[in-house]
This record gives sequence, C-alpha cells and structure tokens, in this order.
Amino acid sequence: MSDAAWLNVVLFLPVLGTALLLFVPATRESAIRTLTLVAMAAQLVVTGFLYAAFDPATPGLQFATRLPWIPAWGVTYTIGLDGYNVLLVLLTAFLGPLVVAGAFTAVRRDVKLFYCMVLLIQFAMMGAFVAQDLFLFYLFWEAMMIPMFVIIGIWGGERRIYATFKFVLYTAFGSILMLAAMIWLAWSLATPEGALSFAFTDLYQSRLPLSTQVLLLSAFGLSFAIKVPIVPLHTWLPDAHVEAPTAGSVILAGVLLKMGTYGFMKLGFPLFPDATMVLSPLLIALAVVSIVYGACLALVQDDIKKIIAYSSISHLGYVMLGLVCLDLVGVQGAVVQMVSHGLTAAGLFLMVGMIYERCHTRELAAYGGLAKVLPVYSLFFMLLTLASIGLPTTSGFTGEFMVLLGAGTAGWQQYSQGSSFLLASSAVAVTGVVLGAMYMLRFAQGFLFGGERVPHGPVLDLDLREKAILVAIVAAVFWLGLFPAEPLAKTELAAQEYRQLVTTSRLPGNAP
Amino acid sequence: MNRHGFSWLDIAVALAPENLLLLGIVAILAVEILAPKPRGALVVAFSALALATVAALVLWAGGVVAEPFPGEFTVEPGASLAKAVVLALTLPVLLLARDEFPQSGPFHVLLLSSLYGVCLMLSADSFLTLFLGLEMLSLPVYVLVLLAFRRPESLEAALKYLVLGGAATATFLLGVSLLYGGTGTMSLAAFTVALSVHDPMATAAVVLVLVAFFLKAAVVPFHAWAPDAYEGATVPVTAYMAVVVKAGVLLAVLRLFGEAPLPGPIVDLVAVLPLLSIVWGNLAAMRQKSFRRMIAYSSIAHAGYLFYALLGDGPGRYEAVVFYVVAYGLMNLLAFAALPRTADDAARDHLDRFRGMFHRNPFGATMLGIAMLSLAGIPPLPGFVAKFLIFKNVMAAGYTTYAVLGLVGSYLGIYFYLRVIQLMFMSPAEGPAEPRTAVRRAVGTCIVCLVPALLLALFPGAVIGRG
Repeated sequence: MSDAAWLNVVLFLPVLGTALLLFVPATRESAIRTLTLVAMAAQLVVTGFLYAAFDPATPGLQFATRLPWIPAWGVTYTIGLDGYNVLLVLLTAFLGPLVVAGAFTAVRRDVKLFYCMVLLIQFAMMGAFVAQDLFLFYLFWEAMMIPMFVIIGIWGGERRIYATFKFVLYTAFGSILMLAAMIWLAWSLATPEGALSFAFTDLYQSRLPLSTQVLLLSAFGLSFAIKVPIVPLHTWLPDAHVEAPTAGSVILAGVLLKMGTYGFMKLGFPLFPDATMVLSPLLIALAVVSIVYGACLALVQDDIKKIIAYSSISHLGYVMLGLVCLDLVGVQGAVVQMVSHGLTAAGLFLMVGMIYERCHTRELAAYGGLAKVLPVYSLFFMLLTLASIGLPTTSGFTGEFMVLLGAGTAGWQQYSQGSSFLLASSAVAVTGVVLGAMYMLRFAQGFLFGGERVPHGPVLDLDLREKAILVAIVAAVFWLGLFPAEPLAKTELAAQEYRQLVTTSRLPGNAP
Repeated sequence: MNRHGFSWLDIAVALAPENLLLLGIVAILAVEILAPKPRGALVVAFSALALATVAALVLWAGGVVAEPFPGEFTVEPGASLAKAVVLALTLPVLLLARDEFPQSGPFHVLLLSSLYGVCLMLSADSFLTLFLGLEMLSLPVYVLVLLAFRRPESLEAALKYLVLGGAATATFLLGVSLLYGGTGTMSLAAFTVALSVHDPMATAAVVLVLVAFFLKAAVVPFHAWAPDAYEGATVPVTAYMAVVVKAGVLLAVLRLFGEAPLPGPIVDLVAVLPLLSIVWGNLAAMRQKSFRRMIAYSSIAHAGYLFYALLGDGPGRYEAVVFYVVAYGLMNLLAFAALPRTADDAARDHLDRFRGMFHRNPFGATMLGIAMLSLAGIPPLPGFVAKFLIFKNVMAAGYTTYAVLGLVGSYLGIYFYLRVIQLMFMSPAEGPAEPRTAVRRAVGTCIVCLVPALLLALFPGAVIGRG
C-alpha cells in the first residue's frame, strides 16, 4: 500500500469499526468495548507511523489523496497531512483510545449506540482535520455535531436536553452562515468558463475587495468563534461540559474546541488576509478578554467541571492571541497550546469523571483531603493541574510561554512603529497566567488538601485501567514539555506559510 | 386536424408509462371483480407501476422525443425523467399501504389515476392538458383522504382540501383565461411570453396561475389546508401527498417556467412567499404534537426551498428540483415507513408516542432519525446536497440576500427535527418492545428508501452536472 493510502486507513478505521459494531448484538457489551478499543488503538498506531514518517522539511501536503467527487462543482476528495494538522491529527488519534477506555465503567446504558457515536465523531473530527477541500471540510464540520448531540443528550446529566440543544443551536447557527459564505466564495471565484474549485490551495489565491473579505471572514469567523469558544459566544460551553458524560467532555475539550482555532488558522485568516489585518485589534481584544474573563469565571465556580470548562475558554484565548499576533514563535506556540490544552483538559475531565463515578457529586465543597485517601489519584491530579497552570517542563509551559513571547515580540515591533495596543494586550494576557495558577491551585487545594471529606466513601484508589490512561496522558504532557523541538520542527514550515499568507495583501489589483 | 400525421405506434410507445398505468387500473378492476384476493390489487398495481417506471426510464435513456398529440402532449427526455422519478417515488407508498385498507382495490385505482394525472401534467404542452392533469391528480386525492374514514377528522380534512383545491382550480382557470384573452393561444409558451411583457393583464395572469400552484404546493399563505389534510389522511396517503403530489406540482411548475428568466416583480413573488413558507413552516412545526402535522409544516417549508429553485438560472433549475424532489421524497418516505404501527391510527402519530422508541424499536428509531437529519439538511445525508444545490443556484444567480435569508430560515428547522430524535433516543422508554413481526415488516420498505438515498449521498457527483 502506498503511504497516502495509510492516511485513508486512519480516516476510515472508525467507520469500519462502526460497521462491525452493527453486527455485534447489543447485549454483548464487553465485545463492543473491545472492538471499539481495538479500532481506536489501530488508528493510533497507524497515525503514529505517519507522524514519524512526516517529513518536516517538505512544504505542503504529505500523504495526500486527491480524487474527484462532484466534478460539476469542482469538489474533490482531498486529504493530506501538513504542518497545520499533523499534531492535531496525532492528538485526536491519541485521545481516541483513552476516551473509549475511560468510558468502560461509566457508560452502562445503550453501550452499542454510545460506542457507535464515539467512533462516528472520531471519524468526523479526523476528517475535518485532514480535509483539504472546503466542501469536504464543511461536511465533516457539520457531521461532528450530531454524535455530540446524541452523546450529551443520552448519557448526560440532569439538564442534558437543555445543554445539548444549546450546543447544537449555537453550532448550527455558525455553520449556516459559514455555508452561505462558502457558497458565495466558491462561486465568486469561478473562472469565466464556469470552472469551480473548493481546494484550499486554490482558495488561497482568491482576490477579493476588503468589504467582501470582512463580510466573509465574519461569517466563517462566527462559526469558528462559537466552536473555540471566544467570549461572548461561549455560553454554550459550560452547560455542554457540565451536562456531558465524561467521554463527551473529553472529546469536547480535547479535540472539538480545537476545530475552531484550527479553522481560523487554516481557513479564516489565510483566506481573508486583508480583513484579518483590519479586524486584528478586535480579535486581539476578544482573545485577551477570553483569557482574563474565562480565568476570572473559573476562579469562582463551585462545580469542578465548570472550573475546567472556564479554564478552557481562557486557555484557548492564548491560542487565538498566538494566531493573531502573527509572530512565528507565537503561531507555533498556538499550535503547541492547542495540543497541550487537549491533553491537560482531557486528562482533568477524565479525572473528574473518575472521582464522580466514585463519589457522585461535582460540588467542590463536598471534597477535601483526597491526598490522604487517594494518593495515586492525587499525584496524577497534581501533575495535570501543574501542567494546566503551565509549570516549566510540562506542555502547558511550552505553549503559553511561546504564545506570550510571540505576542510580546510582535507587540514591541508595533510599539516601535507607534502602536502600543498589542503590547498592552500581551501584558494583560500575562495576568491570565497568574489567574490560571490561582484558580487551579484553589481547585487543587480544596480538592486534595484540608480536612478529609469523601462523599459516598470509603472509595478505592485508581485501578490499573485508570492508571494506564493517566500515565499515557502525563507522559504526553511531559514529552511536549521536555522535547518540544521535534513537534515544533514539524509545524515550522506551516507556521511560516501561515504568516506569509496572512501578511500578504490579496486585494484585487495588487500585483501577486 | 393534426399537422404531423397520426400514428398509433407513436401513441403506444411515447405514452407507454401512461398506458401501463391505465392498463393497471383496468386490471385491478378486473381482478377485484373476477378473482378477489387479499393482495391481488397490490400485486397488479405494483407491477403496473414498476413497469411504468421502467418505461419512463427507457424513454429517458433512449432520448425519445415524440409528439403524439401535437400542441397538447410532448414526450422528451426531461419529462420522461420527471415521470420516472414521480412513479418510482410512489413504489414505496404502495408498500406502505400493504395492510392499511381492508379493501385495497379502490385505493390502488385512485392512486394510479392520480399518477396518470401527474404524467399528463409533466408532458403537457397546453394549458388544457395541464389543467386536465392537475385535476386528475387532485380529484382522486380528495377521495384518498376520505378513505381513512375511520376517523372523524378525515371528513373535515377531505372537505377542507376539496374546497381549497377548488379555489386553486378556479384561480388557475381565471389565470389561463386571462392569458388566452391576451394571447389567443392555450400553449404553455404563452406563459413565458407573459412573463416577459409588462402588461397588467399578462402579469395578473401569471400571478393567478402561480397562486394556484402555491395553493397546490401549500406555500404560505396558501398553506392552511395542508396540516389538516395531512393529519386526517392515513399514513400512506399522507406520504403520497407530501411526496408525490408535491413533487408533481413542482415539476409541473418547472415545465411552465422552463428556462425563462424571471422579471423583477415576479422574482419578489417567487422569493418572498417561499421565504415566508420556509420561516413559518419551520417555526410552526416546532409547536406540533402530531407527527403528521409536523411533517405537513415541514413540507410547507420544503415547498419554499423548492420554489426557491426558480430563482436560479434557467439551465440549473431542472437538475436542482429533480435532485431535491428525490432526496426529500426518499427521506420523507423513509420516515413514514419507519413509523411504528399501532391499531389506533390517531395515537400512532402522536409525538408523545415516540418517547423511548429507540428501546422499543431500535431499527425504526434509527431510520426515523436518519430521515429527520436528512430533512433538516444536515450533512452528509442527501438532504444537504439537495439544499446546497438550490441555494448555490440562487446565489450564483445573484440573489445573495434571499439565499442567506433562506439558509437562516432553514436553520429554524433544525430544532423540531432534532426534537423527534430527542424524544426517540433521549427520553425514558414507555411500554414494551414492539413485536418483532411489526418491526420486520417495515425493514423492506425502509431499505428501499434508504439505499438509493445513501448512494446519492456518497456519490452525488455521479448525477450532478450530468444533464
């Protein structure tokens, strides 16, 4: 098999898994779990090989497949790996088996349907990352919504119906405007002979007047900003996270939110560079507001899931800041921050799920002194907390530090040209780090230390399955914190290309 | 009298789909009288319909162009394909109706007669034939609605439908008479001429004819009959009205408009009312407690999308409408096929009965779920590509604002489609599992609808842009 075929294998393994699951009787739950885990693990193994074989020195797509799909509209089935998506694909594949294994004991109702939905959303997320054709991307983008709707709606908490409809109605509203913008974009770029193309590379050549660019970026951006989410479009997130089952929260925080920032990086900003330049003060302001506001809200929550939910808003604000500041280090930092947040938030949500299975409450005040009762649990929890804060040697540090370094560098440059906005914004963003330490340590302190309070105790410490899941996550966190050079090298060319695309004006009439 | 000579062979071959339907009607009557068997009428009707579908497909594939009745009735590939689509979409309706009626003879005769009307309409060259077809399509449906006379609502529904159908007929005739007065011809071409002239009488004629079709297709504000009629009829008849009648009417409108460009004032008429239809249909559907009423409002919204296709440039309209009709029709039929069967027809479609359906009947719930997602236009199901095709045409023709408003209107529909999924999958189960036989009966019909729809979703490129 050629190399390119393996990426198709990665993409379609979850579909194969779903198809096989349909033939397993719903009562054979352990067979269903094993089959799903095997499918996910196989996907991870193949993705690992592809990642290793990914050549950092080759620009553009690798392992690309390009097939005509709807020739009349110029729609192609084009997938491939590049520096933009390679780490995110690896993250998605990495979290897949962990989500499945994490739900072994938590999900006891409609097991077959649950794992079908997990596999389908894995397929859709993977597809959205590897798609290199706007039409294909949109299909995967929308297809993600339904499995998540079902996952929250069936296996969620008490207010699950409200939360899941809120999630869908927010997401779908963004998508419908993106659809309109996408149709408009493709047909306005048709050649005089009527030939169309949805390929990203062709769309990067577009030349549009500024007002059009601003409109289109607003339509695409709204859709992405809801997914990220950027304040003030974030209100669906706490509800969705709190009501979702652990697996749903892990998928949401681990991968789904990155869709938004990935969308900005791959589509929103490079497609409409002039509009990005015009809107960048607004985007920077929103990113900083997200960082600080999300952190402040996380500081006052009583529900442990909500703390992590709001911390996600804050952490993804850094990603946005890194992408908008257009400094090479900042852009690469944004990518690392995406992966890092995916790991730490997924890990923390898994740990919250583990304690919830034992104690059946998410009330922070109900807990205390877990360090004595559950030493192994507490050790892992502390490690993930520190990674989330951004302690050096963990992935959180690499990401946040690079973003702030990039934003600061770009800020100084702009300052020397007479604009102090970005510099001031970066300074405000730094306070997010302090606030981050405050809310995470408040969380850990109330949770792990102080008087012993264990609802529904006595409880057992982590079992082997849970330890294995957490060891994998913690190992990945340290890998990205201690040896960032290799993943950074793989994203470097893409970061340069991104910067090149966004900083080159493409108004009509300018010489190419 | 005839300009081209009169050939019986022409009539036999070019009218093959219609002739087969006619033959089917006669055969059903004969079977009912000579050898009444429980399934006799079904077998005859199904064979006649299948043969008629094949005949229409052969005429289309062979590119047959003929004028058996010059100036009145033409056969050309476009019309043949439209007929094939409508006839094929009726096949699942017959399967749905297997045990619906104690005496299935009348149902099948009426259904085939109505289809004969559709076929006439789709080949019509003059307003006379079109009118004949339109009436032949509608009259049997009034009776079909009444066939469910087990329920008191049916009488009211049939009467409402009849009265409003009559109003549509009157409006249509008035429009046609104005056209005839202005141009002195009954030819359909007079309509496109009237579109392009700025004459109050011509405009009035166009508006009246259009309003008649709005009435038949249930476009806001001419939609009030649809929820009652859909609710009052039995499931197969509702399916027939929602899918085949709607498809036939829209394809006839397409034949009327052809590829003619729309002048300004008419644009507003074919954009604003359908837009209202989309918005109101989707909003009103949210509040329904009965599945069939909900589908009625959903079909009002879908009529809006379909009329939107007229905003597109001429050459793309036909493809957009045919694709949409197929995707929408298959998914609507799938929904009706998956509906749980109960003895009590009124309770059958109460949305509360859908609660926990996934646990009682996982197959049915999954099928219904897929149908709802496709009707909502969520990718990768075929409803999405169909909607994309229409809105892409509207946007390419330059009506960006209407396209965006229409898309936002379609967003309003997501809630009520997903609410059905919520009831089926996310609400606790009530009642025992449905008997296996009842579930197994639905499987065949569901597969018949699902497989072509999935093929359409996976390989839209195979049909789009191919003629």
